[in-house]
Amino acid sequence: MSDTIEEGGLGEADIEAAYGSGDGDLDTSATVASTPKGQIFEQIYRPWNGPLGPRWVRNYAIYRHHVYGIISGSGHRRYHPFVRLALLVVILGSMTPILMLLLSSMVSGDATGFLNRMWGVNRYNLWGNVLGYFPRNLCMWPLLTALVVGGLVSDDRKNGTSALYFSRPISRLDYASMKWLSAASVLATVIILTYMMYYSAAIVFKGEGWSFIADTIPIFIGGLVAGIFLVFTYTSIGIALSSISTSRFTASVSFLGLILGSKIVAWLVEIQFETTYIYLLSPYDCLAHLGQWLVGLPSNYDHPLIMSVVSLLAMNAASLSIFASRVSSLEVTRE
Amino acid sequence: MGQSEGGFDIANPIIQIRGLRKLYGPHVALDGVDLDIGTGGVGILGPNGSGKSTLFKCILGLIRITEGGGEVLGKDISTMGPDIRSKIGYMAEYDSLDPGLTAVDQVRYAGELLGMRPDQATQRAHEVLQYVGLQDQRYRKIESFSTGMRQATKLACAIVHDPQILFCDEPTNGLDASARQFMLDTLRRTISEGGGTVIMTSHVMEDIQGVCDRVVMLSAGKVVVEGRIDELARQITREIEISVWGGATKLEQWLLLHGHKVRRMGRIMRIEHQGDQTIRAILEGASETGAQVRVLREFEPDLEDIFLLIMRKLGKSAKSASDLKGVPGE
Repeated sequence: MSDTIEEGGLGEADIEAAYGSGDGDLDTSATVASTPKGQIFEQIYRPWNGPLGPRWVRNYAIYRHHVYGIISGSGHRRYHPFVRLALLVVILGSMTPILMLLLSSMVSGDATGFLNRMWGVNRYNLWGNVLGYFPRNLCMWPLLTALVVGGLVSDDRKNGTSALYFSRPISRLDYASMKWLSAASVLATVIILTYMMYYSAAIVFKGEGWSFIADTIPIFIGGLVAGIFLVFTYTSIGIALSSISTSRFTASVSFLGLILGSKIVAWLVEIQFETTYIYLLSPYDCLAHLGQWLVGLPSNYDHPLIMSVVSLLAMNAASLSIFASRVSSLEVTRE
Repeated sequence: MGQSEGGFDIANPIIQIRGLRKLYGPHVALDGVDLDIGTGGVGILGPNGSGKSTLFKCILGLIRITEGGGEVLGKDISTMGPDIRSKIGYMAEYDSLDPGLTAVDQVRYAGELLGMRPDQATQRAHEVLQYVGLQDQRYRKIESFSTGMRQATKLACAIVHDPQILFCDEPTNGLDASARQFMLDTLRRTISEGGGTVIMTSHVMEDIQGVCDRVVMLSAGKVVVEGRIDELARQITREIEISVWGGATKLEQWLLLHGHKVRRMGRIMRIEHQGDQTIRAILEGASETGAQVRVLREFEPDLEDIFLLIMRKLGKSAKSASDLKGVPGE
């Protein structure tokens, strides 16, 4: 046995490995398992021969990237959690009349009449669901637009991501239209969809029949058209402000300042000088004036409707031309 | 396959430009550019304002050209811009990434913008991020990336669809030594394994020399030099480079007195090579003046020397290629 050990059969190395005795104990460094050294990863160029989709596929990618970002937390354009929370509050706030309709359909007695007048379908309420100043056009819609549209183009200018679009087969028209459309879709979902839900809920909760629908559908359509004008105008102004800035904060605050500031200034001038002409500078008031006519409400304004319509068209044209010119100035090779 | 010059297929050019002229108002940005580029690596050189960016924009079909025309991959640059851009990759000089996205989302989106299906784009994003060395960082947000990682992400975005031509604008900008080496190795590999063309601009001539076989030099909107780097180097006058300690001025004067052309930069002197007698003359001069010649070797001009020589001939003074970055446009 001892011979075998000395010869190394079941020898010193095995005992050393098993018990750690012998000369090895004097070593100051531990012996570790050796690993092959060399490349950390294998760098191989993999070719790709897949098909590339047509123009609509590319455009839909832009649209999806901006819209899905609001719903999905990752994978698409990033919206700050606070922004997403604010949007949730706005959409829930715009749906409160539906809850009140539900309530009015469940209670009976004198309260029903009151609740119906306050939240039931009539010209004033249909107009108010889109164009009412408080809280919708004071707090909700401008905030919604500012949060959604603020960084839409300014972020590309700030981060240089315009090169990502224009070095690919994306034309400036595609870029601008998809950006505009994605913002308008979000606004339309909140403003117009909740308006349609409100009208539908009134029919369902109250069990209204065809005669009610026949009576109210023209007013509803009037409000719907006013809503479309509102979405169009707010999106155009918001995106124009976003395109002239490199900061989403500046663009958002400018939008809020423009919508709310022009309204307040016009209101102060009206009080002082008893004229409503200055409201032609306020996008909200031009929309409200047009909306009142569409829904069939008496006008709050002294000036003719056509002036508000012209002002509205001029605002949209100016905004879209600013947007177009700023998009055409976005660089590919150097910003 | 056409006639191949060291991996560069010049007989079948993939970019052909003829008489390209671009005016911005009265300013001539490109003035009658003729260019043939085949597969391989091509460096575009020129001081700021020489027309590099305008040439890129014309090749990408992004701007309306004033005169002339050309084809990229057989497609007209005047009318088929979108088709051209779907077959090329472009890596911008400056940051062109969304800091709020993860690397894999950014590259996937870059693929989707080319028309790739989301599932294809996602799969491809993983592949190219592995290729550029960001496999373990692909789920990190770009805002947390170093400059090298950002450059690698930009490269991944550019090659997501395996383009036939890759344009790289200053790909090593802001990179440290190891990241720069990795980027250059990756670009070289993209040419050798991908079989495509890399067209790059850089103010670091060493980088261009490391990746490209050929160069195109622009100045004042014109192509002043076009050719293989080694051929251009051969056209430069051969010189003997010596490093002198003690008595350098005396040796310089001795050499000048004996009819040699000398360029001196401190202790380093370059003497025009006129045959074997040049070395003999240097040693003789050193012996007579008591100067110590520590190093004596034949000087091999690199791309920077070629570039500076050409720029000097064009009347631009610069000590290094990076000086030309600040030269205003003509």
